[in-house]
Amino acid sequence: MDLLQRFTHGEIDAFETLVHQFQGDVYAWIVRIVRDPGVAEDLTVETLWRIYRARHQFRPDGNFGAWARRIATNLAIDHLRRNRPEQSFLAEPRGVPQADPVVERETQERIQQAFRRLPAKLQVAATLALIEELPYDEIASALGTSVGAVKLRVFRAVRILRKRLNQAGVRPE
Amino acid sequence: MIGHEDNYMTEHDDRQIRDALKQSIPPVNTELRRDLWLDVLRKLDLHPVRVPWYDWALVGLSAAMFLVFPRLVLVFAYHL
Repeated sequence: MDLLQRFTHGEIDAFETLVHQFQGDVYAWIVRIVRDPGVAEDLTVETLWRIYRARHQFRPDGNFGAWARRIATNLAIDHLRRNRPEQSFLAEPRGVPQADPVVERETQERIQQAFRRLPAKLQVAATLALIEELPYDEIASALGTSVGAVKLRVFRAVRILRKRLNQAGVRPE
Repeated sequence: MIGHEDNYMTEHDDRQIRDALKQSIPPVNTELRRDLWLDVLRKLDLHPVRVPWYDWALVGLSAAMFLVFPRLVLVFAYHL
């Protein structure tokens, strides 16, 4: 019986082997989304725990890594939803950004805030596509959706970001 | 449907926003710092996989129904 079959039968040794094989990939995926190593570790443990609990739903001829990544993505999205900043980003508009480091820092903070306030699904798509520059098909697979849907989410994220930054008088150059 | 002009704007917006985000959001280290196996094992021990109460309620209800209406066993067996 191969490793994945033994895992679906609940053998803890097989699961331990899979954890050691995949924990790095799962962590790397989650930390790219949540951008916080401590939170990413907790969510990785949660993901691996859920994987073990859902082992009966996994087909031994399936792609374990892709399945793990999808569970991890859902957990990361839930985390972003629960931890969205409540404070409104739309502060008073400012003029044209200056080359002052303090102003630049403030601009960057405003961009970060606007980004964190995006709906979680849009934020994840934009993070993976625009910041991490991962291939759209890889993102689509992890989100359990189509490449077209990912592109649409990125498009909407950019539109919302631009609108909010304009309202706040921040003009990214 | 997205037209040519919108396509151009999308690419332009995309570039600007991507640059702004990359400047504002620092890169993260994707290397896992420690082995998480013991944490997973601890979580499995702390939260043993248990059957939720409504599943037990359903089992009890089914058993009661089979006692009161024994012919339901045939219907149940047919649908399995």
